[in-house]
Amino acid sequence: MIRLVDVSKRYRTQAGHKVVLDKVNLEFPVGASVGILGLNGAGKSTLIRIIGRAEPPDSGRMECDQRVSWPLGYSGGFQGNLTARENARFVARIYGEDPRYIEAFTEEFSELGEYFDEPVKSYSAGMQSRFAFSVSLACNFEYYLVDEALETGDARYREKFRLAFEERRANASVILVSHNEQTIRRNCDMAAILHDGSLVLYEDLKEALYEYNVLQNRPR
Amino acid sequence: MSGTPVVRSASAVDAGRVIRGIEVQARVINALMLRETKTRYGNYKIGFLWGLIEPAVSVSIFVAIFSVLRQDQPSGMPLVPFMLVGFVGFSMFKDPWGQMQAAIGHSRQLLAFPQVSTFDVLMAKGLLEVAITLFVFVFLLCMAALLGYEVRVERPLGVLMACALLCTLGLGMGFLFAAVEPIIPSVKQLSGQLMGRPLYFSSGLFFTAEAIPGAVLDYLLWNPVLHMIELLRGEFFHGFETAYGSWLYASGWSFGTLAAGLTVHQALRRRAISTK
Repeated sequence: MIRLVDVSKRYRTQAGHKVVLDKVNLEFPVGASVGILGLNGAGKSTLIRIIGRAEPPDSGRMECDQRVSWPLGYSGGFQGNLTARENARFVARIYGEDPRYIEAFTEEFSELGEYFDEPVKSYSAGMQSRFAFSVSLACNFEYYLVDEALETGDARYREKFRLAFEERRANASVILVSHNEQTIRRNCDMAAILHDGSLVLYEDLKEALYEYNVLQNRPR
Repeated sequence: MSGTPVVRSASAVDAGRVIRGIEVQARVINALMLRETKTRYGNYKIGFLWGLIEPAVSVSIFVAIFSVLRQDQPSGMPLVPFMLVGFVGFSMFKDPWGQMQAAIGHSRQLLAFPQVSTFDVLMAKGLLEVAITLFVFVFLLCMAALLGYEVRVERPLGVLMACALLCTLGLGMGFLFAAVEPIIPSVKQLSGQLMGRPLYFSSGLFFTAEAIPGAVLDYLLWNPVLHMIELLRGEFFHGFETAYGSWLYASGWSFGTLAAGLTVHQALRRRAISTK
Protein backbone atom coordinates (compact mmCIF):
# COMPACT_ATOMS: atom_id res chain seq x y z
CA MET A 1 0.00 0.00 0.00
CA ILE A 2 1.18 3.48 -0.80
CA ARG A 3 -0.25 6.43 1.02
CA LEU A 4 0.52 10.11 0.80
CA VAL A 5 -0.15 12.05 3.99
CA ASP A 6 -0.24 15.84 3.85
CA VAL A 7 2.48 15.90 1.23
CA SER A 8 3.55 19.37 0.15
CA LYS A 9 6.20 20.44 -2.26
CA ARG A 10 7.06 23.79 -3.69
CA TYR A 11 9.81 25.13 -5.85
CA ARG A 12 11.52 28.44 -5.77
CA THR A 13 11.25 30.27 -9.05
CA GLN A 14 12.25 33.72 -10.23
CA ALA A 15 8.70 34.91 -9.60
CA GLY A 16 8.54 33.50 -6.07
CA HIS A 17 7.29 30.14 -4.86
CA LYS A 18 5.42 27.73 -7.05
CA VAL A 19 3.34 25.27 -5.06
CA VAL A 20 3.34 21.96 -6.86
CA LEU A 21 1.72 19.78 -4.21
CA ASP A 22 -0.45 21.33 -1.53
CA LYS A 23 -1.16 18.97 1.38
CA VAL A 24 -1.95 16.05 -0.84
CA ASN A 25 -3.65 13.06 0.81
CA LEU A 26 -4.18 9.93 -1.20
CA GLU A 27 -4.15 6.20 -0.70
CA PHE A 28 -3.33 4.13 -3.74
CA PRO A 29 -5.62 1.09 -3.65
CA VAL A 30 -3.89 -2.27 -3.44
CA GLY A 31 -3.68 -4.17 -6.69
CA ALA A 32 -4.99 -1.39 -8.88
CA SER A 33 -3.12 0.44 -11.58
CA VAL A 34 -3.55 4.14 -11.19
CA GLY A 35 -2.96 6.75 -13.82
CA ILE A 36 -2.12 10.29 -12.90
CA LEU A 37 -3.27 12.92 -15.35
CA GLY A 38 -2.10 16.47 -15.33
CA LEU A 39 -1.35 19.32 -17.65
CA ASN A 40 2.23 20.11 -18.52
CA GLY A 41 4.04 21.51 -15.53
CA ALA A 42 1.38 20.41 -13.05
CA GLY A 43 4.02 18.51 -11.08
CA LYS A 44 3.45 14.96 -12.29
CA SER A 45 7.12 14.11 -12.42
CA THR A 46 7.70 15.64 -9.00
CA LEU A 47 4.89 13.53 -7.63
CA ILE A 48 6.35 10.36 -9.07
CA ARG A 49 9.79 11.19 -7.70
CA ILE A 50 8.29 11.66 -4.26
CA ILE A 51 6.42 8.36 -4.50
CA GLY A 52 9.64 6.68 -5.62
CA ARG A 53 11.40 8.40 -2.72
CA ALA A 54 13.97 9.89 -5.04
CA GLU A 55 13.11 13.26 -3.57
CA PRO A 56 11.79 14.14 -0.12
CA PRO A 57 8.61 16.22 0.22
CA ASP A 58 8.92 19.61 1.95
CA SER A 59 6.42 18.42 4.53
CA GLY A 60 4.16 15.46 5.07
CA ARG A 61 5.17 11.88 4.45
CA MET A 62 4.95 8.96 2.11
CA GLU A 63 3.96 5.67 3.68
CA CYS A 64 4.79 2.52 1.87
CA ASP A 65 5.37 -1.04 2.98
CA GLN A 66 6.26 -2.55 -0.36
CA ARG A 67 8.95 -2.21 -2.93
CA VAL A 68 8.55 0.54 -5.44
CA SER A 69 10.55 0.74 -8.64
CA TRP A 70 12.36 3.83 -9.80
CA PRO A 71 10.54 5.54 -12.69
CA LEU A 72 10.59 2.99 -15.45
CA GLY A 73 13.15 3.51 -18.14
CA TYR A 74 14.90 6.13 -16.07
CA SER A 75 18.61 5.55 -16.52
CA GLY A 76 19.86 8.39 -14.35
CA GLY A 77 20.72 6.02 -11.50
CA PHE A 78 23.32 4.25 -13.54
CA GLN A 79 26.95 5.14 -13.57
CA GLY A 80 28.19 5.92 -17.06
CA ASN A 81 31.71 4.66 -16.45
CA LEU A 82 30.49 1.22 -15.50
CA THR A 83 29.23 -1.45 -17.84
CA ALA A 84 25.63 -2.64 -17.97
CA ARG A 85 26.73 -5.81 -16.22
CA GLU A 86 28.30 -3.90 -13.34
CA ASN A 87 25.32 -1.58 -13.03
CA ALA A 88 22.90 -4.52 -13.02
CA ARG A 89 24.87 -6.20 -10.25
CA PHE A 90 24.87 -2.99 -8.24
CA VAL A 91 21.10 -2.62 -8.49
CA ALA A 92 20.64 -6.28 -7.55
CA ARG A 93 22.80 -5.82 -4.47
CA ILE A 94 21.04 -2.77 -3.14
CA TYR A 95 17.63 -4.42 -3.62
CA GLY A 96 18.86 -7.63 -2.04
CA GLU A 97 18.22 -9.67 -5.19
CA ASP A 98 20.51 -12.38 -6.49
CA PRO A 99 23.09 -10.52 -8.62
CA ARG A 100 23.64 -13.49 -10.93
CA TYR A 101 19.95 -13.82 -11.72
CA ILE A 102 19.45 -10.10 -12.33
CA GLU A 103 22.55 -10.01 -14.48
CA ALA A 104 21.46 -12.98 -16.57
CA PHE A 105 17.88 -11.74 -17.00
CA THR A 106 19.01 -8.25 -17.95
CA GLU A 107 21.61 -9.47 -20.40
CA GLU A 108 19.05 -11.65 -22.13
CA PHE A 109 16.15 -9.23 -22.10
CA SER A 110 17.98 -6.05 -23.05
CA GLU A 111 19.40 -7.62 -26.22
CA LEU A 112 22.48 -5.45 -25.90
CA GLY A 113 24.79 -8.23 -27.02
CA GLU A 114 28.45 -7.36 -26.68
CA TYR A 115 27.53 -3.85 -25.56
CA PHE A 116 26.50 -5.37 -22.26
CA ASP A 117 30.17 -5.22 -21.26
CA GLU A 118 30.74 -1.69 -22.51
CA PRO A 119 30.38 1.44 -20.35
CA VAL A 120 26.77 2.62 -20.22
CA LYS A 121 27.79 6.12 -21.28
CA SER A 122 28.70 4.81 -24.73
CA TYR A 123 25.09 3.72 -25.36
CA SER A 124 22.58 5.49 -27.51
CA ALA A 125 19.50 6.84 -25.73
CA GLY A 126 17.46 3.88 -26.97
CA MET A 127 19.98 1.35 -25.68
CA GLN A 128 20.15 3.10 -22.33
CA SER A 129 16.43 2.95 -21.80
CA ARG A 130 16.30 -0.64 -23.04
CA PHE A 131 18.82 -1.50 -20.38
CA ALA A 132 16.96 0.47 -17.72
CA PHE A 133 13.65 -1.21 -18.60
CA SER A 134 15.26 -4.63 -18.44
CA VAL A 135 16.75 -4.07 -15.01
CA SER A 136 13.46 -2.88 -13.57
CA LEU A 137 11.67 -5.89 -15.02
CA ALA A 138 14.32 -8.17 -13.58
CA CYS A 139 13.67 -6.98 -10.05
CA ASN A 140 10.25 -8.04 -8.80
CA PHE A 141 8.71 -4.80 -7.65
CA GLU A 142 5.26 -4.60 -6.11
CA TYR A 143 4.78 -1.16 -7.58
CA TYR A 144 6.05 0.07 -10.89
CA LEU A 145 6.32 3.78 -11.47
CA VAL A 146 6.04 4.96 -15.03
CA ASP A 147 6.74 8.50 -16.09
CA GLU A 148 5.13 9.29 -19.45
CA ALA A 149 5.01 6.71 -22.19
CA LEU A 150 6.31 3.19 -22.22
CA GLU A 151 7.80 3.90 -25.57
CA THR A 152 11.35 2.81 -26.24
CA GLY A 153 13.45 1.34 -29.01
CA ASP A 154 12.05 -0.04 -32.24
CA ALA A 155 8.54 -1.40 -32.73
CA ARG A 156 9.51 -5.02 -32.22
CA TYR A 157 11.26 -4.34 -28.94
CA ARG A 158 8.41 -2.15 -27.77
CA GLU A 159 6.02 -5.02 -28.33
CA LYS A 160 8.25 -7.44 -26.46
CA PHE A 161 8.49 -5.07 -23.58
CA ARG A 162 4.76 -4.36 -23.54
CA LEU A 163 4.00 -8.08 -23.30
CA ALA A 164 6.49 -8.63 -20.50
CA PHE A 165 5.14 -5.65 -18.64
CA GLU A 166 1.57 -6.83 -19.12
CA GLU A 167 2.55 -10.14 -17.57
CA ARG A 168 4.19 -8.43 -14.66
CA ARG A 169 1.09 -6.35 -14.05
CA ALA A 170 -0.73 -9.50 -12.97
CA ASN A 171 1.19 -9.40 -9.68
CA ALA A 172 2.21 -5.79 -9.48
CA SER A 173 0.53 -2.42 -9.45
CA VAL A 174 1.41 0.42 -11.71
CA ILE A 175 1.40 4.11 -11.04
CA LEU A 176 1.59 5.82 -14.36
CA VAL A 177 1.97 9.48 -15.02
CA SER A 178 1.02 10.95 -18.35
CA HIS A 179 -0.67 13.79 -20.10
CA ASN A 180 -1.76 11.36 -22.78
CA GLU A 181 -5.23 9.91 -22.33
CA GLN A 182 -4.51 6.96 -24.60
CA THR A 183 -1.67 5.69 -22.44
CA ILE A 184 -3.80 5.99 -19.33
CA ARG A 185 -6.79 4.26 -20.91
CA ARG A 186 -4.68 1.32 -22.03
CA ASN A 187 -2.81 0.75 -18.78
CA CYS A 188 -4.89 1.89 -15.85
CA ASP A 189 -7.91 0.83 -13.82
CA MET A 190 -8.53 4.26 -12.39
CA ALA A 191 -7.03 7.69 -12.56
CA ALA A 192 -6.26 10.73 -10.48
CA ILE A 193 -6.01 14.29 -11.69
CA LEU A 194 -3.27 16.58 -10.48
CA HIS A 195 -4.20 20.21 -10.82
CA ASP A 196 -3.27 23.35 -8.91
CA GLY A 197 -1.50 21.42 -6.18
CA SER A 198 -4.33 19.04 -5.41
CA LEU A 199 -4.70 15.42 -6.39
CA VAL A 200 -8.16 13.89 -6.78
CA LEU A 201 -8.71 10.17 -7.36
CA TYR A 202 -11.58 8.97 -9.54
CA GLU A 203 -12.37 5.30 -9.23
CA ASP A 204 -14.17 5.44 -12.52
CA LEU A 205 -11.66 5.86 -15.29
CA LYS A 206 -14.24 7.36 -17.66
CA GLU A 207 -15.16 10.02 -15.16
CA ALA A 208 -11.51 10.91 -14.69
CA LEU A 209 -10.95 11.24 -18.42
CA TYR A 210 -14.07 13.35 -18.76
CA GLU A 211 -12.95 15.70 -16.00
CA TYR A 212 -9.52 15.88 -17.57
CA ASN A 213 -11.06 16.88 -20.88
CA VAL A 214 -12.99 19.63 -19.22
CA LEU A 215 -9.79 20.81 -17.60
CA GLN A 216 -7.87 20.76 -20.84
CA ASN A 217 -10.47 22.75 -22.71
CA ARG A 218 -10.96 25.33 -20.03
CA PRO A 219 -9.60 28.66 -21.20
CA ARG A 220 -6.51 29.65 -19.27
CA MET B 1 -10.86 1.87 0.31
CA SER B 2 -9.27 -1.37 1.45
CA GLY B 3 -6.03 -1.72 3.33
CA THR B 4 -5.49 -1.89 7.05
CA PRO B 5 -4.72 1.43 8.65
CA VAL B 6 -1.09 1.81 9.60
CA VAL B 7 -0.86 2.12 13.35
CA ARG B 8 2.08 4.17 14.39
CA SER B 9 3.11 4.78 17.94
CA ALA B 10 6.01 7.04 18.58
CA SER B 11 7.24 5.31 21.71
CA ALA B 12 7.28 1.68 20.67
CA VAL B 13 10.32 0.73 18.65
CA ASP B 14 9.65 -2.13 16.31
CA ALA B 15 12.75 -4.32 16.66
CA GLY B 16 12.11 -6.21 13.43
CA ARG B 17 11.89 -2.97 11.55
CA VAL B 18 15.17 -1.72 13.00
CA ILE B 19 16.97 -4.96 12.14
CA ARG B 20 15.61 -4.88 8.60
CA GLY B 21 16.76 -1.30 8.31
CA ILE B 22 20.27 -2.23 9.38
CA GLU B 23 20.28 -5.10 6.91
CA VAL B 24 19.36 -2.82 4.05
CA GLN B 25 21.97 -0.30 5.09
CA ALA B 26 24.73 -2.92 5.28
CA ARG B 27 23.69 -4.24 1.88
CA VAL B 28 23.73 -0.78 0.34
CA ILE B 29 27.11 0.20 1.81
CA ASN B 30 28.56 -3.10 0.63
CA ALA B 31 27.21 -2.57 -2.89
CA LEU B 32 28.48 1.00 -2.96
CA MET B 33 31.96 -0.05 -1.85
CA LEU B 34 32.16 -2.76 -4.50
CA ARG B 35 31.06 -0.24 -7.09
CA GLU B 36 33.48 2.34 -5.80
CA THR B 37 36.45 -0.01 -6.20
CA LYS B 38 35.71 0.07 -9.92
CA THR B 39 35.49 3.83 -10.23
CA ARG B 40 37.96 5.00 -7.56
CA TYR B 41 40.90 5.18 -9.92
CA GLY B 42 39.01 5.90 -13.10
CA ASN B 43 38.91 3.25 -15.76
CA TYR B 44 42.60 2.48 -15.73
CA LYS B 45 43.56 -1.09 -15.07
CA ILE B 46 46.76 0.02 -13.35
CA GLY B 47 44.90 2.71 -11.43
CA PHE B 48 45.19 0.83 -8.21
CA LEU B 49 48.98 0.91 -8.50
CA TRP B 50 48.84 4.68 -8.33
CA GLY B 51 47.63 4.39 -4.76
CA LEU B 52 50.93 2.65 -3.94
CA ILE B 53 53.21 4.70 -6.13
CA GLU B 54 52.14 8.08 -4.85
CA PRO B 55 53.11 7.59 -1.18
CA ALA B 56 56.20 5.63 -2.21
CA VAL B 57 57.36 8.59 -4.31
CA SER B 58 56.72 11.13 -1.54
CA VAL B 59 58.62 9.01 0.95
CA SER B 60 61.51 8.47 -1.47
CA ILE B 61 61.83 12.19 -2.14
CA PHE B 62 61.96 13.06 1.54
CA VAL B 63 64.31 10.19 2.30
CA ALA B 64 66.59 11.42 -0.48
CA ILE B 65 66.54 15.01 0.78
CA PHE B 66 67.26 13.98 4.34
CA SER B 67 70.06 11.61 3.29
CA VAL B 68 71.73 14.34 1.26
CA LEU B 69 71.47 16.75 4.17
CA ARG B 70 73.19 14.06 6.26
CA GLN B 71 70.57 14.52 8.88
CA ASP B 72 71.04 12.19 11.83
CA GLN B 73 68.54 9.43 12.20
CA PRO B 74 65.49 11.00 13.80
CA SER B 75 65.46 10.05 17.48
CA GLY B 76 66.69 6.53 16.93
CA MET B 77 64.23 5.58 14.20
CA PRO B 78 65.40 4.13 10.87
CA LEU B 79 64.82 6.82 8.23
CA VAL B 80 62.71 4.91 5.68
CA PRO B 81 60.15 3.40 8.07
CA PHE B 82 60.10 6.72 9.92
CA MET B 83 59.01 8.56 6.78
CA LEU B 84 56.64 5.78 5.75
CA VAL B 85 54.79 5.88 9.04
CA GLY B 86 54.54 9.66 8.86
CA PHE B 87 53.31 9.92 5.27
CA VAL B 88 50.95 6.95 5.19
CA GLY B 89 49.70 7.87 8.67
CA PHE B 90 48.81 11.31 7.33
CA SER B 91 46.99 9.66 4.39
CA MET B 92 44.79 7.75 6.84
CA PHE B 93 43.49 11.12 7.97
CA LYS B 94 43.58 13.05 4.71
CA ASP B 95 42.34 10.53 2.12
CA PRO B 96 38.95 9.65 3.64
CA TRP B 97 38.33 13.36 4.11
CA GLY B 98 39.35 14.24 0.56
CA GLN B 99 37.34 11.43 -1.04
CA MET B 100 34.22 12.04 1.01
CA GLN B 101 34.12 15.78 0.60
CA ALA B 102 32.87 15.93 -2.99
CA ALA B 103 30.93 12.67 -2.74
CA ILE B 104 27.41 14.08 -2.53
CA GLY B 105 27.80 16.06 -5.73
CA HIS B 106 29.38 13.14 -7.55
CA SER B 107 26.83 10.58 -6.42
CA ARG B 108 23.66 12.45 -7.17
CA GLN B 109 22.41 9.77 -9.56
CA LEU B 110 22.81 7.14 -6.84
CA LEU B 111 20.59 9.06 -4.49
CA ALA B 112 17.70 8.48 -6.89
CA PHE B 113 17.54 4.98 -5.43
CA PRO B 114 15.34 5.32 -2.33
CA GLN B 115 17.42 3.06 -0.12
CA VAL B 116 20.66 4.90 -0.85
CA SER B 117 21.21 7.79 1.54
CA THR B 118 23.96 10.37 1.66
CA PHE B 119 25.19 8.64 4.81
CA ASP B 120 25.63 5.38 2.89
CA VAL B 121 27.47 7.10 0.07
CA LEU B 122 29.83 8.89 2.45
CA MET B 123 30.39 5.87 4.67
CA ALA B 124 31.17 3.66 1.68
CA LYS B 125 33.68 6.18 0.31
CA GLY B 126 35.30 6.69 3.71
CA LEU B 127 35.52 3.02 4.62
CA LEU B 128 36.96 2.10 1.25
CA GLU B 129 39.59 4.82 1.63
CA VAL B 130 40.46 3.57 5.11
CA ALA B 131 40.82 0.04 3.76
CA ILE B 132 43.02 1.23 0.90
CA THR B 133 45.37 3.25 3.12
CA LEU B 134 45.69 0.43 5.63
CA PHE B 135 46.53 -1.91 2.77
CA VAL B 136 49.05 0.57 1.39
CA PHE B 137 50.57 0.91 4.85
CA VAL B 138 51.09 -2.84 5.27
CA PHE B 139 52.22 -3.30 1.69
CA LEU B 140 54.83 -0.54 1.74
CA LEU B 141 56.16 -1.69 5.11
CA CYS B 142 56.57 -5.19 3.67
CA MET B 143 58.34 -3.72 0.65
CA ALA B 144 60.66 -1.75 2.92
CA ALA B 145 61.40 -4.91 4.91
CA LEU B 146 62.14 -6.81 1.70
CA LEU B 147 64.51 -4.04 0.64
CA GLY B 148 66.46 -4.66 3.82
CA TYR B 149 65.24 -1.82 6.04
CA GLU B 150 64.53 -2.71 9.62
CA VAL B 151 60.78 -2.87 10.13
CA ARG B 152 59.77 -4.05 13.58
CA VAL B 153 56.46 -3.13 15.14
CA GLU B 154 56.88 -2.51 18.84
CA ARG B 155 53.22 -2.53 19.99
CA PRO B 156 50.84 -3.62 17.22
CA LEU B 157 47.72 -2.89 19.26
CA GLY B 158 48.88 0.64 19.98
CA VAL B 159 49.65 1.14 16.29
CA LEU B 160 46.11 0.05 15.46
CA MET B 161 44.70 2.46 18.01
CA ALA B 162 46.66 5.39 16.60
CA CYS B 163 45.59 4.43 13.07
CA ALA B 164 41.97 4.25 14.26
CA LEU B 165 42.23 7.79 15.65
CA LEU B 166 43.63 9.11 12.37
CA CYS B 167 40.92 7.37 10.33
CA THR B 168 38.16 8.51 12.68
CA LEU B 169 39.31 12.10 12.45
CA GLY B 170 39.41 11.77 8.66
CA LEU B 171 35.87 10.34 8.55
CA GLY B 172 34.63 13.10 10.84
CA MET B 173 36.15 15.81 8.65
CA GLY B 174 34.71 14.01 5.63
CA PHE B 175 31.16 14.08 6.98
CA LEU B 176 31.51 17.68 8.07
CA PHE B 177 32.86 19.04 4.80
CA ALA B 178 30.72 16.81 2.60
CA ALA B 179 27.57 18.14 4.24
CA VAL B 180 28.65 21.77 4.04
CA GLU B 181 30.16 21.79 0.55
CA PRO B 182 26.94 21.58 -1.49
CA ILE B 183 25.63 24.60 0.43
CA ILE B 184 28.81 26.67 0.67
CA PRO B 185 30.95 25.61 -2.28
CA SER B 186 33.88 27.77 -1.18
CA VAL B 187 34.76 25.36 1.66
CA LYS B 188 36.40 23.36 -1.12
CA GLN B 189 39.13 25.99 -1.34
CA LEU B 190 39.38 26.09 2.44
CA SER B 191 39.90 22.35 2.77
CA GLY B 192 42.30 22.31 -0.15
CA GLN B 193 44.37 24.97 1.57
CA LEU B 194 44.23 23.17 4.91
CA MET B 195 45.14 19.76 3.56
CA GLY B 196 47.90 21.30 1.53
CA ARG B 197 50.33 23.51 3.32
CA PRO B 198 49.45 23.98 7.00
CA LEU B 199 48.50 20.42 7.87
CA TYR B 200 51.05 18.77 5.59
CA PHE B 201 53.90 20.74 7.11
CA SER B 202 52.76 20.85 10.73
CA SER B 203 51.66 17.27 11.34
CA GLY B 204 55.08 15.75 11.78
CA LEU B 205 55.20 13.83 8.51
CA PHE B 206 58.95 14.28 8.30
CA PHE B 207 59.93 15.46 11.78
CA THR B 208 59.30 14.65 15.40
CA ALA B 209 57.90 17.12 17.90
CA GLU B 210 61.10 17.12 19.92
CA ALA B 211 63.06 18.42 16.93
CA ILE B 212 60.99 21.63 16.92
CA PRO B 213 62.00 24.63 19.05
CA GLY B 214 59.74 25.15 22.04
CA ALA B 215 58.15 28.44 21.04
CA VAL B 216 56.98 27.06 17.70
CA LEU B 217 56.07 23.70 19.16
CA ASP B 218 53.59 25.30 21.55
CA TYR B 219 51.56 26.33 18.54
CA LEU B 220 52.08 23.13 16.56
CA LEU B 221 50.78 21.04 19.44
CA TRP B 222 47.32 22.45 18.86
CA ASN B 223 47.27 20.25 15.75
CA PRO B 224 45.72 16.91 16.72
CA VAL B 225 47.23 15.16 13.70
CA LEU B 226 50.71 15.89 15.05
CA HIS B 227 49.68 14.18 18.29
CA MET B 228 48.41 11.16 16.42
CA ILE B 229 51.49 10.76 14.28
CA GLU B 230 53.69 11.15 17.36
CA LEU B 231 51.65 8.47 19.11
CA LEU B 232 51.76 6.24 16.05
CA ARG B 233 55.56 6.44 15.94
CA GLY B 234 55.80 5.91 19.67
CA GLU B 235 53.83 2.69 19.40
CA PHE B 236 55.57 1.59 16.24
CA PHE B 237 59.27 2.07 16.99
CA HIS B 238 61.31 0.41 19.67
CA GLY B 239 63.70 3.29 20.16
CA PHE B 240 61.19 6.14 20.29
CA GLU B 241 58.87 7.32 23.03
CA THR B 242 56.87 10.45 22.37
CA ALA B 243 56.98 13.08 25.07
CA TYR B 244 54.30 15.21 23.45
CA GLY B 245 51.61 13.02 21.88
CA SER B 246 48.55 12.87 24.13
CA TRP B 247 46.01 10.08 23.72
CA LEU B 248 43.39 12.14 25.48
CA TYR B 249 43.82 15.20 23.28
CA ALA B 250 43.98 13.10 20.11
CA SER B 251 40.93 10.97 20.87
CA GLY B 252 38.98 14.03 22.02
CA TRP B 253 39.51 15.56 18.59
CA SER B 254 38.78 12.33 16.73
CA PHE B 255 35.51 11.48 18.39
CA GLY B 256 34.51 15.11 18.80
CA THR B 257 35.00 15.71 15.08
CA LEU B 258 33.14 12.55 14.17
CA ALA B 259 30.22 13.56 16.40
CA ALA B 260 30.22 17.07 14.96
CA GLY B 261 30.49 15.74 11.40
CA LEU B 262 27.59 13.33 11.82
CA THR B 263 25.47 16.00 13.51
CA VAL B 264 26.06 18.59 10.82
CA HIS B 265 25.47 15.97 8.14
CA GLN B 266 22.18 14.96 9.75
CA ALA B 267 21.08 18.57 10.00
CA LEU B 268 22.02 19.58 6.47
CA ARG B 269 21.54 16.43 4.40
CA ARG B 270 18.17 17.41 2.96
CA ARG B 271 19.44 20.79 1.90
CA ALA B 272 22.65 19.26 0.59
CA ILE B 273 20.65 16.98 -1.72
CA SER B 274 18.25 19.60 -2.98
CA THR B 275 20.86 22.16 -4.03
CA LYS B 276 21.74 21.52 -7.58
